[in-house]
Amino acid sequence: MRSAFLAFLYSILMRGFLRIIVGVKYINKEVISKEKQFIIVSNHNSHLDTMALMSSLTFRQLSKTHPIAAGDYFGDSVAKSFITRLFTNAILIRRTKDGNSENPIDMMSRALSEGRSLILFPEGSRGEPEKMQEFKKGIGILLQKHPDIKYIPVYMRGMGKVLPKGEKLLVPFDTYVLFGQPSTTKAAEISEIVQEVEGKIMALRATFIQPVEETKD
Amino acid sequence: MHFLQSDKFEQNREVIILISIILGILVFATVLFFIWGKIKPTNQLKELKMRTNSWWVMASMFVLATLLHPVVSFVAFGLLSFAAMRELASISKNVRDDDRRVIIWCYIAIPIQYFFAYKGWFNIFIIFIPVIMHVWIPFMLVIRGITTEIGRSMGVLPTQMMLTIFSLSHLAYLLSLPEIPGFNAGGRGLLLYVVFLTEINDVFQFVWGKLLGRHKIIEKISPNKTWEGFIGGILSTAALAYFLRFLTPLTEIESVLIGLTIACSGFVGDVIVSAIKRDIGLKDTGTLIPGHGGILDRIDSLSLTAPIFFYIVYNLHYA
Repeated sequence: MRSAFLAFLYSILMRGFLRIIVGVKYINKEVISKEKQFIIVSNHNSHLDTMALMSSLTFRQLSKTHPIAAGDYFGDSVAKSFITRLFTNAILIRRTKDGNSENPIDMMSRALSEGRSLILFPEGSRGEPEKMQEFKKGIGILLQKHPDIKYIPVYMRGMGKVLPKGEKLLVPFDTYVLFGQPSTTKAAEISEIVQEVEGKIMALRATFIQPVEETKD
Repeated sequence: MHFLQSDKFEQNREVIILISIILGILVFATVLFFIWGKIKPTNQLKELKMRTNSWWVMASMFVLATLLHPVVSFVAFGLLSFAAMRELASISKNVRDDDRRVIIWCYIAIPIQYFFAYKGWFNIFIIFIPVIMHVWIPFMLVIRGITTEIGRSMGVLPTQMMLTIFSLSHLAYLLSLPEIPGFNAGGRGLLLYVVFLTEINDVFQFVWGKLLGRHKIIEKISPNKTWEGFIGGILSTAALAYFLRFLTPLTEIESVLIGLTIACSGFVGDVIVSAIKRDIGLKDTGTLIPGHGGILDRIDSLSLTAPIFFYIVYNLHYA
Protein backbone atom coordinates (compact mmCIF):
# COMPACT_ATOMS: atom_id res chain seq x y z
CA MET A 1 0.00 0.00 0.00
CA ARG A 2 2.63 2.43 1.10
CA SER A 3 5.02 1.47 -1.69
CA ALA A 4 2.22 1.89 -4.21
CA PHE A 5 1.55 5.34 -2.79
CA LEU A 6 5.22 6.30 -3.04
CA ALA A 7 5.50 4.88 -6.54
CA PHE A 8 2.49 6.87 -7.69
CA LEU A 9 3.73 10.02 -6.01
CA TYR A 10 7.28 9.93 -7.33
CA SER A 11 7.32 7.89 -10.50
CA ILE A 12 4.26 9.54 -11.97
CA LEU A 13 3.29 12.83 -10.35
CA MET A 14 6.63 14.12 -9.18
CA ARG A 15 8.65 12.87 -12.14
CA GLY A 16 6.21 14.40 -14.60
CA PHE A 17 6.15 17.67 -12.72
CA LEU A 18 9.93 17.84 -12.45
CA ARG A 19 10.57 16.98 -16.07
CA ILE A 20 7.85 18.97 -17.80
CA ILE A 21 7.35 21.97 -15.55
CA VAL A 22 10.63 22.42 -13.70
CA GLY A 23 12.79 21.19 -16.55
CA VAL A 24 14.85 18.55 -14.74
CA LYS A 25 17.07 16.52 -17.06
CA TYR A 26 18.37 13.19 -15.79
CA ILE A 27 21.68 12.12 -17.29
CA ASN A 28 23.08 8.57 -16.96
CA LYS A 29 20.05 7.65 -14.89
CA GLU A 30 20.21 4.06 -16.09
CA VAL A 31 23.18 3.29 -13.80
CA ILE A 32 20.92 3.42 -10.78
CA SER A 33 18.19 0.98 -11.82
CA LYS A 34 20.51 -2.05 -11.70
CA GLU A 35 21.68 -1.48 -8.12
CA LYS A 36 20.07 -3.30 -5.21
CA GLN A 37 21.57 -1.41 -2.29
CA PHE A 38 23.40 1.88 -2.50
CA ILE A 39 24.12 5.22 -0.90
CA ILE A 40 23.39 8.19 -3.16
CA VAL A 41 25.79 10.99 -2.32
CA SER A 42 24.97 14.38 -3.74
CA ASN A 43 25.47 18.09 -3.44
CA HIS A 44 22.64 20.02 -1.80
CA ASN A 45 21.13 23.35 -2.82
CA SER A 46 17.40 23.02 -2.51
CA HIS A 47 14.45 21.13 -1.05
CA LEU A 48 13.87 19.88 -4.57
CA ASP A 49 17.08 17.83 -4.42
CA THR A 50 15.45 15.02 -2.45
CA MET A 51 12.38 15.03 -4.69
CA ALA A 52 14.52 14.87 -7.83
CA LEU A 53 16.58 11.94 -6.51
CA MET A 54 13.55 10.01 -5.22
CA SER A 55 11.92 10.42 -8.64
CA SER A 56 14.87 8.75 -10.33
CA LEU A 57 14.35 5.48 -8.45
CA THR A 58 12.45 2.40 -9.63
CA PHE A 59 9.27 1.14 -7.93
CA ARG A 60 11.15 -1.48 -5.96
CA GLN A 61 13.92 0.84 -4.82
CA LEU A 62 11.53 3.59 -3.68
CA SER A 63 10.15 1.96 -0.56
CA LYS A 64 13.61 0.82 0.57
CA THR A 65 15.41 4.12 0.09
CA HIS A 66 15.61 6.71 2.85
CA PRO A 67 16.80 10.28 2.50
CA ILE A 68 18.67 11.51 5.54
CA ALA A 69 17.06 14.73 6.74
CA ALA A 70 17.89 17.17 9.49
CA GLY A 71 15.66 16.44 12.46
CA ASP A 72 16.20 19.88 13.92
CA TYR A 73 14.72 21.37 10.74
CA PHE A 74 12.10 18.89 9.52
CA GLY A 75 11.32 17.34 12.89
CA ASP A 76 10.85 20.46 14.99
CA SER A 77 7.06 20.12 15.02
CA VAL A 78 4.87 17.01 15.01
CA ALA A 79 3.11 18.05 11.79
CA LYS A 80 6.32 18.77 9.88
CA SER A 81 7.90 15.53 11.04
CA PHE A 82 4.77 13.53 10.07
CA ILE A 83 4.63 15.08 6.60
CA THR A 84 8.34 14.50 6.02
CA ARG A 85 8.08 10.85 7.04
CA LEU A 86 4.87 10.26 5.08
CA PHE A 87 6.13 11.69 1.81
CA THR A 88 9.80 10.80 1.79
CA ASN A 89 10.52 7.80 4.05
CA ALA A 90 13.12 10.07 5.61
CA ILE A 91 15.34 9.16 8.52
CA LEU A 92 15.47 12.25 10.72
CA ILE A 93 18.75 12.88 12.46
CA ARG A 94 19.99 15.52 14.90
CA ARG A 95 22.77 17.62 13.44
CA THR A 96 23.89 18.84 16.90
CA LYS A 97 24.65 16.62 19.88
CA ASP A 98 22.02 16.82 22.62
CA GLY A 99 22.79 13.66 24.59
CA ASN A 100 19.41 11.93 24.65
CA SER A 101 18.80 11.14 20.95
CA GLU A 102 20.49 8.27 19.10
CA ASN A 103 23.80 8.83 17.30
CA PRO A 104 22.91 9.64 13.67
CA ILE A 105 25.68 7.42 12.27
CA ASP A 106 24.30 4.43 14.19
CA MET A 107 20.82 5.08 12.80
CA MET A 108 22.12 5.18 9.23
CA SER A 109 24.36 2.19 9.77
CA ARG A 110 21.46 0.14 11.14
CA ALA A 111 19.34 1.00 8.09
CA LEU A 112 22.17 -0.18 5.84
CA SER A 113 22.49 -3.43 7.80
CA GLU A 114 18.77 -4.03 7.22
CA GLY A 115 19.43 -3.90 3.49
CA ARG A 116 18.07 -0.42 2.98
CA SER A 117 19.52 2.34 0.79
CA LEU A 118 20.26 5.92 1.75
CA ILE A 119 20.28 9.36 0.12
CA LEU A 120 22.88 11.52 1.77
CA PHE A 121 23.87 15.14 1.41
CA PRO A 122 27.31 15.34 3.05
CA GLU A 123 27.40 19.14 2.80
CA GLY A 124 24.94 19.10 5.70
CA SER A 125 22.87 22.07 4.62
CA ARG A 126 21.73 23.76 1.43
CA GLY A 127 24.39 26.21 0.36
CA GLU A 128 24.41 28.90 -2.28
CA PRO A 129 23.59 27.81 -5.85
CA GLU A 130 26.49 26.14 -7.72
CA LYS A 131 28.86 26.52 -4.76
CA MET A 132 29.87 23.44 -2.80
CA GLN A 133 30.61 23.38 0.90
CA GLU A 134 33.07 21.08 2.61
CA PHE A 135 31.81 17.52 3.15
CA LYS A 136 31.03 16.27 6.64
CA LYS A 137 32.79 13.06 7.59
CA GLY A 138 29.67 10.92 8.21
CA ILE A 139 29.80 9.44 4.72
CA GLY A 140 33.39 8.33 5.44
CA ILE A 141 32.43 6.57 8.64
CA LEU A 142 29.48 4.84 6.99
CA LEU A 143 31.48 3.56 4.01
CA GLN A 144 34.26 2.40 6.32
CA LYS A 145 31.74 0.37 8.33
CA HIS A 146 30.09 -1.01 5.18
CA PRO A 147 32.87 -1.35 2.63
CA ASP A 148 30.81 -3.68 0.41
CA ILE A 149 28.00 -1.19 -0.20
CA LYS A 150 28.22 0.87 -3.37
CA TYR A 151 27.91 4.62 -3.37
CA ILE A 152 26.59 6.61 -6.32
CA PRO A 153 27.99 10.13 -6.73
CA VAL A 154 25.47 12.63 -8.09
CA TYR A 155 25.93 16.25 -9.06
CA MET A 156 22.88 18.46 -9.42
CA ARG A 157 22.99 21.80 -11.12
CA GLY A 158 20.39 24.55 -11.12
CA MET A 159 18.23 23.37 -8.20
CA GLY A 160 19.37 26.33 -6.15
CA LYS A 161 17.99 28.63 -8.80
CA VAL A 162 14.62 26.91 -9.04
CA LEU A 163 13.97 26.88 -5.30
CA PRO A 164 16.78 28.50 -3.31
CA LYS A 165 17.17 28.41 0.43
CA GLY A 166 14.73 30.77 2.10
CA GLU A 167 12.52 31.20 -0.98
CA LYS A 168 8.95 29.93 -1.25
CA LEU A 169 8.25 30.64 -4.94
CA LEU A 170 9.33 27.89 -7.32
CA VAL A 171 10.54 29.28 -10.65
CA PRO A 172 11.24 26.75 -13.43
CA PHE A 173 14.78 26.70 -14.84
CA ASP A 174 16.63 23.96 -16.69
CA THR A 175 18.15 21.67 -14.09
CA TYR A 176 20.49 18.73 -14.44
CA VAL A 177 20.87 15.59 -12.33
CA LEU A 178 24.09 13.90 -13.40
CA PHE A 179 24.75 10.38 -12.11
CA GLY A 180 28.25 8.96 -11.73
CA GLN A 181 29.28 5.30 -11.79
CA PRO A 182 28.32 3.30 -8.68
CA SER A 183 31.36 1.88 -6.91
CA THR A 184 32.62 0.63 -3.56
CA THR A 185 35.29 2.66 -1.85
CA LYS A 186 38.95 1.73 -2.16
CA ALA A 187 40.30 3.90 0.63
CA ALA A 188 40.53 2.75 4.23
CA GLU A 189 40.85 5.97 6.26
CA ILE A 190 37.74 8.03 6.93
CA SER A 191 39.25 11.25 5.61
CA GLU A 192 40.47 9.49 2.45
CA ILE A 193 37.01 8.07 1.78
CA VAL A 194 35.44 11.51 2.19
CA GLN A 195 38.05 12.92 -0.19
CA GLU A 196 37.42 10.18 -2.74
CA VAL A 197 33.65 10.77 -2.74
CA GLU A 198 34.05 14.54 -2.86
CA GLY A 199 36.54 14.21 -5.71
CA LYS A 200 34.09 12.14 -7.76
CA ILE A 201 31.33 14.71 -7.31
CA MET A 202 33.73 17.51 -8.21
CA ALA A 203 34.66 15.57 -11.36
CA LEU A 204 30.98 15.31 -12.32
CA ARG A 205 30.67 19.02 -11.70
CA ALA A 206 33.58 19.70 -14.06
CA THR A 207 31.79 18.03 -17.00
CA PHE A 208 29.37 20.95 -17.16
CA ILE A 209 30.16 23.84 -19.42
CA GLN A 210 30.77 26.74 -17.09
CA PRO A 211 29.09 29.95 -18.22
CA VAL A 212 31.68 32.67 -18.67
CA GLU A 213 30.84 34.57 -15.49
CA GLU A 214 31.15 31.62 -13.15
CA THR A 215 34.61 30.63 -14.26
CA LYS A 216 36.03 33.94 -13.10
CA ASP A 217 36.12 33.07 -9.38
CA MET B 1 -11.99 6.47 -36.66
CA HIS B 2 -13.65 9.51 -38.14
CA PHE B 3 -10.44 10.34 -39.95
CA LEU B 4 -10.70 7.39 -42.29
CA GLN B 5 -14.15 8.30 -43.53
CA SER B 6 -13.87 9.37 -47.13
CA ASP B 7 -15.16 12.96 -46.80
CA LYS B 8 -12.73 13.61 -43.97
CA PHE B 9 -9.99 12.18 -46.11
CA GLU B 10 -10.97 14.45 -48.98
CA GLN B 11 -10.83 17.48 -46.67
CA ASN B 12 -7.39 16.55 -45.41
CA ARG B 13 -5.95 15.25 -48.64
CA GLU B 14 -3.19 17.86 -49.05
CA VAL B 15 -2.10 17.60 -45.45
CA ILE B 16 -2.03 13.81 -45.62
CA ILE B 17 0.10 13.91 -48.78
CA LEU B 18 2.73 16.07 -47.09
CA ILE B 19 2.66 14.04 -43.88
CA SER B 20 3.26 10.90 -45.95
CA ILE B 21 6.20 12.60 -47.67
CA ILE B 22 7.63 13.64 -44.29
CA LEU B 23 7.21 10.17 -42.81
CA GLY B 24 8.88 8.72 -45.90
CA ILE B 25 11.87 11.05 -45.51
CA LEU B 26 12.08 10.26 -41.79
CA VAL B 27 12.00 6.51 -42.25
CA PHE B 28 14.60 6.85 -44.99
CA ALA B 29 16.87 9.08 -42.85
CA THR B 30 16.51 6.88 -39.76
CA VAL B 31 17.38 3.72 -41.69
CA LEU B 32 20.24 5.47 -43.52
CA PHE B 33 21.80 6.84 -40.30
CA PHE B 34 21.32 3.50 -38.55
CA ILE B 35 23.23 1.66 -41.27
CA TRP B 36 25.81 4.46 -41.50
CA GLY B 37 26.27 4.28 -37.70
CA LYS B 38 26.90 0.53 -37.91
CA ILE B 39 29.54 0.97 -40.60
CA LYS B 40 31.33 4.18 -39.61
CA PRO B 41 30.16 6.08 -36.52
CA THR B 42 31.25 9.74 -36.38
CA ASN B 43 30.42 12.77 -34.27
CA GLN B 44 28.62 14.41 -37.13
CA LEU B 45 26.36 11.41 -37.37
CA LYS B 46 25.31 11.92 -33.76
CA GLU B 47 24.18 15.44 -34.62
CA LEU B 48 22.26 14.13 -37.63
CA LYS B 49 20.62 11.43 -35.52
CA MET B 50 19.59 14.01 -32.93
CA ARG B 51 18.04 16.15 -35.64
CA THR B 52 16.15 13.18 -37.03
CA ASN B 53 14.82 12.33 -33.58
CA SER B 54 13.49 15.83 -33.00
CA TRP B 55 11.96 15.65 -36.45
CA TRP B 56 10.09 12.53 -35.44
CA VAL B 57 8.69 14.39 -32.45
CA MET B 58 7.63 17.34 -34.62
CA ALA B 59 6.06 15.10 -37.25
CA SER B 60 4.14 13.05 -34.68
CA MET B 61 2.86 16.29 -33.19
CA PHE B 62 1.36 17.32 -36.51
CA VAL B 63 -0.11 13.90 -37.20
CA LEU B 64 -1.69 13.90 -33.74
CA ALA B 65 -3.07 17.37 -34.25
CA THR B 66 -4.60 16.33 -37.56
CA LEU B 67 -6.13 13.20 -36.07
CA LEU B 68 -7.25 14.52 -32.71
CA HIS B 69 -8.09 18.14 -32.13
CA PRO B 70 -6.44 21.52 -32.75
CA VAL B 71 -6.31 22.13 -28.97
CA VAL B 72 -3.60 19.44 -28.82
CA SER B 73 -1.46 21.59 -31.13
CA PHE B 74 -2.03 24.71 -29.06
CA VAL B 75 -0.96 22.96 -25.87
CA ALA B 76 2.02 21.36 -27.63
CA PHE B 77 3.22 24.67 -29.07
CA GLY B 78 2.66 26.33 -25.70
CA LEU B 79 4.89 23.73 -24.05
CA LEU B 80 7.47 24.22 -26.79
CA SER B 81 7.52 27.97 -26.12
CA PHE B 82 7.76 27.28 -22.40
CA ALA B 83 10.69 24.89 -22.77
CA ALA B 84 12.48 27.30 -25.10
CA MET B 85 11.91 30.29 -22.81
CA ARG B 86 13.08 28.26 -19.82
CA GLU B 87 16.19 27.15 -21.66
CA LEU B 88 17.05 30.68 -22.72
CA ALA B 89 16.44 32.06 -19.22
CA SER B 90 18.56 29.27 -17.73
CA ILE B 91 21.65 29.79 -19.86
CA SER B 92 21.47 33.57 -20.01
CA LYS B 93 24.11 35.31 -17.97
CA ASN B 94 22.55 38.70 -18.64
CA VAL B 95 19.77 38.08 -16.16
CA ARG B 96 20.44 38.82 -12.51
CA ASP B 97 19.75 36.28 -9.74
CA ASP B 98 17.19 38.68 -8.26
CA ASP B 99 15.17 38.48 -11.45
CA ARG B 100 13.87 34.96 -10.84
CA ARG B 101 10.60 36.32 -9.44
CA VAL B 102 10.12 38.42 -12.57
CA ILE B 103 10.87 35.51 -14.90
CA ILE B 104 7.74 33.82 -13.59
CA TRP B 105 5.77 36.56 -15.41
CA CYS B 106 7.42 35.49 -18.66
CA TYR B 107 6.06 31.98 -18.06
CA ILE B 108 2.61 33.26 -17.10
CA ALA B 109 2.43 35.16 -20.40
CA ILE B 110 2.66 31.88 -22.38
CA PRO B 111 -0.83 30.44 -21.71
CA ILE B 112 -2.31 33.92 -22.13
CA GLN B 113 -0.68 34.44 -25.52
CA TYR B 114 -1.73 30.97 -26.71
CA PHE B 115 -5.25 31.58 -25.47
CA PHE B 116 -5.46 34.66 -27.66
CA ALA B 117 -4.13 32.58 -30.55
CA TYR B 118 -6.72 29.87 -29.90
CA LYS B 119 -9.56 32.38 -29.77
CA GLY B 120 -8.23 34.11 -32.86
CA TRP B 121 -8.29 37.53 -31.21
CA PHE B 122 -5.86 39.06 -33.66
CA ASN B 123 -5.55 42.58 -32.25
CA ILE B 124 -4.69 41.58 -28.70
CA PHE B 125 -2.60 38.64 -29.98
CA ILE B 126 -0.19 40.91 -31.85
CA ILE B 127 0.20 43.51 -29.09
CA PHE B 128 0.21 41.37 -25.96
CA ILE B 129 3.93 40.59 -25.88
CA PRO B 130 5.52 43.42 -27.90
CA VAL B 131 3.50 46.13 -26.12
CA ILE B 132 1.87 44.96 -22.90
CA MET B 133 4.59 42.60 -21.64
CA HIS B 134 7.27 45.03 -22.80
CA VAL B 135 5.85 47.44 -20.24
CA TRP B 136 4.83 44.92 -17.60
CA ILE B 137 8.21 43.19 -17.27
CA PRO B 138 10.21 46.41 -16.70
CA PHE B 139 7.52 47.56 -14.25
CA MET B 140 7.85 44.31 -12.27
CA LEU B 141 11.63 44.75 -12.28
CA VAL B 142 11.24 48.27 -10.93
CA ILE B 143 8.92 47.06 -8.16
CA ARG B 144 11.66 44.67 -6.98
CA GLY B 145 13.60 47.83 -6.20
CA ILE B 146 17.10 46.71 -7.21
CA THR B 147 18.35 49.16 -9.82
CA THR B 148 21.89 47.87 -10.34
CA GLU B 149 22.10 46.74 -13.97
CA ILE B 150 18.32 46.84 -14.23
CA GLY B 151 18.51 48.13 -17.82
CA ARG B 152 20.11 44.88 -18.93
CA SER B 153 17.30 42.77 -17.53
CA MET B 154 14.72 45.16 -18.96
CA GLY B 155 16.16 44.55 -22.40
CA VAL B 156 16.97 40.86 -22.17
CA LEU B 157 13.74 39.42 -20.77
CA PRO B 158 11.34 40.95 -23.34
CA THR B 159 13.73 39.97 -26.14
CA GLN B 160 13.74 36.39 -24.92
CA MET B 161 9.95 36.46 -24.85
CA MET B 162 9.86 37.73 -28.42
CA LEU B 163 12.19 34.95 -29.61
CA THR B 164 10.46 32.08 -27.86
CA ILE B 165 6.84 33.00 -27.09
CA PHE B 166 5.71 35.67 -29.53
CA SER B 167 7.34 34.11 -32.58
CA LEU B 168 6.27 30.50 -32.02
CA SER B 169 2.71 31.44 -31.12
CA HIS B 170 2.26 32.50 -34.75
CA LEU B 171 2.51 28.85 -35.73
CA ALA B 172 -0.43 28.11 -33.47
CA TYR B 173 -2.37 31.13 -34.73
CA LEU B 174 -2.22 29.71 -38.27
CA LEU B 175 -4.68 27.08 -37.03
CA SER B 176 -7.16 29.80 -36.03
CA LEU B 177 -7.23 31.52 -39.40
CA PRO B 178 -10.67 31.60 -41.04
CA GLU B 179 -11.40 29.22 -43.91
CA ILE B 180 -10.99 30.46 -47.45
CA PRO B 181 -13.45 29.03 -50.01
CA GLY B 182 -11.75 26.68 -52.47
CA PHE B 183 -8.70 26.15 -50.27
CA ASN B 184 -8.97 22.89 -48.38
CA ALA B 185 -5.81 22.46 -46.36
CA GLY B 186 -6.54 25.51 -44.16
CA GLY B 187 -4.36 26.49 -41.24
CA ARG B 188 -2.84 23.03 -40.89
CA GLY B 189 -1.60 23.23 -44.45
CA LEU B 190 0.07 26.58 -43.81
CA LEU B 191 1.55 25.32 -40.55
CA LEU B 192 3.03 22.24 -42.19
CA TYR B 193 4.25 24.33 -45.12
CA VAL B 194 6.25 26.83 -43.06
CA VAL B 195 7.65 24.31 -40.57
CA PHE B 196 8.62 21.84 -43.26
CA LEU B 197 10.27 24.49 -45.45
CA THR B 198 12.13 25.99 -42.48
CA GLU B 199 13.54 22.69 -41.32
CA ILE B 200 14.31 21.38 -44.79
CA ASN B 201 16.06 24.70 -45.52
CA ASP B 202 18.41 23.98 -42.59
CA VAL B 203 19.08 20.57 -44.09
CA PHE B 204 19.61 22.00 -47.61
CA GLN B 205 22.04 24.65 -46.34
CA PHE B 206 23.90 21.98 -44.39
CA VAL B 207 24.09 19.56 -47.32
CA TRP B 208 25.07 22.19 -49.94
CA GLY B 209 27.63 23.58 -47.50
CA LYS B 210 29.16 20.11 -47.07
CA LEU B 211 29.22 19.48 -50.82
CA LEU B 212 30.47 22.81 -52.18
CA GLY B 213 31.20 25.03 -49.18
CA ARG B 214 34.35 27.17 -49.53
CA HIS B 215 33.67 30.75 -48.51
CA LYS B 216 32.58 31.39 -44.94
CA ILE B 217 29.90 33.98 -44.26
CA ILE B 218 30.39 34.80 -40.55
CA GLU B 219 33.11 32.54 -39.26
CA LYS B 220 33.14 33.96 -35.73
CA ILE B 221 29.54 33.05 -35.04
CA SER B 222 28.73 30.05 -37.18
CA PRO B 223 31.84 28.44 -38.71
CA ASN B 224 29.83 25.95 -40.77
CA LYS B 225 27.88 28.57 -42.70
CA THR B 226 29.18 29.14 -46.21
CA TRP B 227 28.00 31.24 -49.17
CA GLU B 228 27.70 28.11 -51.31
CA GLY B 229 25.52 26.40 -48.71
CA PHE B 230 23.41 29.50 -48.25
CA ILE B 231 22.76 30.06 -51.95
CA GLY B 232 22.19 26.37 -52.66
CA GLY B 233 19.82 26.31 -49.69
CA ILE B 234 17.67 29.25 -50.69
CA LEU B 235 17.34 28.04 -54.27
CA SER B 236 16.36 24.50 -53.25
CA THR B 237 13.93 25.83 -50.65
CA ALA B 238 12.33 28.20 -53.15
CA ALA B 239 11.89 25.32 -55.60
CA LEU B 240 10.29 23.17 -52.93
CA ALA B 241 8.08 26.07 -51.85
CA TYR B 242 6.82 26.23 -55.41
CA PHE B 243 5.98 22.52 -55.61
CA LEU B 244 4.30 22.39 -52.20
CA ARG B 245 2.10 25.43 -52.80
CA PHE B 246 -0.98 23.15 -52.95
CA LEU B 247 -0.92 23.43 -49.15
CA THR B 248 -1.48 27.17 -49.28
CA PRO B 249 -3.66 29.74 -51.01
CA LEU B 250 -0.52 31.30 -52.52
CA THR B 251 -0.06 31.99 -56.25
CA GLU B 252 2.98 30.65 -58.13
CA ILE B 253 5.07 33.83 -57.86
CA GLU B 254 4.08 34.36 -54.24
CA SER B 255 5.16 30.85 -53.30
CA VAL B 256 8.62 31.27 -54.83
CA LEU B 257 9.12 34.64 -53.11
CA ILE B 258 7.94 33.16 -49.81
CA GLY B 259 10.36 30.25 -50.26
CA LEU B 260 13.22 32.74 -50.66
CA THR B 261 12.01 34.74 -47.63
CA ILE B 262 11.74 31.64 -45.44
CA ALA B 263 15.24 30.52 -46.45
CA CYS B 264 16.81 33.93 -45.73
CA SER B 265 14.98 34.54 -42.44
CA GLY B 266 15.72 31.00 -41.32
CA PHE B 267 19.39 31.73 -41.81
CA VAL B 268 19.12 34.98 -39.84
CA GLY B 269 17.25 33.29 -36.97
CA ASP B 270 19.89 30.58 -36.89
CA VAL B 271 22.79 33.00 -36.55
CA ILE B 272 20.99 35.17 -33.97
CA VAL B 273 20.54 32.19 -31.66
CA SER B 274 24.10 31.02 -32.43
CA ALA B 275 25.40 34.43 -31.37
CA ILE B 276 23.43 34.27 -28.10
CA LYS B 277 24.93 30.85 -27.40
CA ARG B 278 28.46 32.04 -28.23
CA ASP B 279 28.04 34.86 -25.73
CA ILE B 280 27.58 32.30 -22.97
CA GLY B 281 30.40 30.08 -24.16
CA LEU B 282 28.25 27.31 -25.62
CA LYS B 283 29.14 26.13 -29.07
CA ASP B 284 26.75 23.69 -30.59
CA THR B 285 24.04 23.23 -28.03
CA GLY B 286 21.68 25.19 -25.85
CA THR B 287 22.37 22.98 -22.84
CA LEU B 288 25.19 23.05 -20.35
CA ILE B 289 26.10 19.39 -20.84
CA PRO B 290 28.11 18.50 -23.93
CA GLY B 291 26.38 16.14 -26.32
CA HIS B 292 22.80 16.84 -25.22
CA GLY B 293 20.92 19.01 -27.67
CA GLY B 294 18.53 21.68 -26.46
CA ILE B 295 15.22 23.03 -27.69
CA LEU B 296 16.79 26.25 -28.93
CA ASP B 297 18.91 24.41 -31.48
CA ARG B 298 15.73 23.12 -33.06
CA ILE B 299 13.64 26.25 -33.11
CA ASP B 300 16.30 28.85 -33.88
CA SER B 301 15.30 29.31 -37.51
CA LEU B 302 11.58 28.89 -36.80
CA SER B 303 11.64 31.79 -34.36
CA LEU B 304 12.12 34.13 -37.31
CA THR B 305 10.40 32.34 -40.17
CA ALA B 306 7.15 31.78 -38.26
CA PRO B 307 6.14 35.43 -37.71
CA ILE B 308 7.48 36.61 -41.08
CA PHE B 309 5.62 33.90 -42.98
CA PHE B 310 2.51 34.55 -40.92
CA TYR B 311 2.36 38.27 -41.65
CA ILE B 312 3.04 37.86 -45.36
CA VAL B 313 0.31 35.26 -45.80
CA TYR B 314 -2.06 37.10 -43.50
CA ASN B 315 -1.75 40.35 -45.40
CA LEU B 316 -1.93 38.71 -48.81
CA HIS B 317 -4.93 36.45 -48.25
CA TYR B 318 -6.62 36.98 -44.90
CA ALA B 319 -6.58 40.70 -44.14
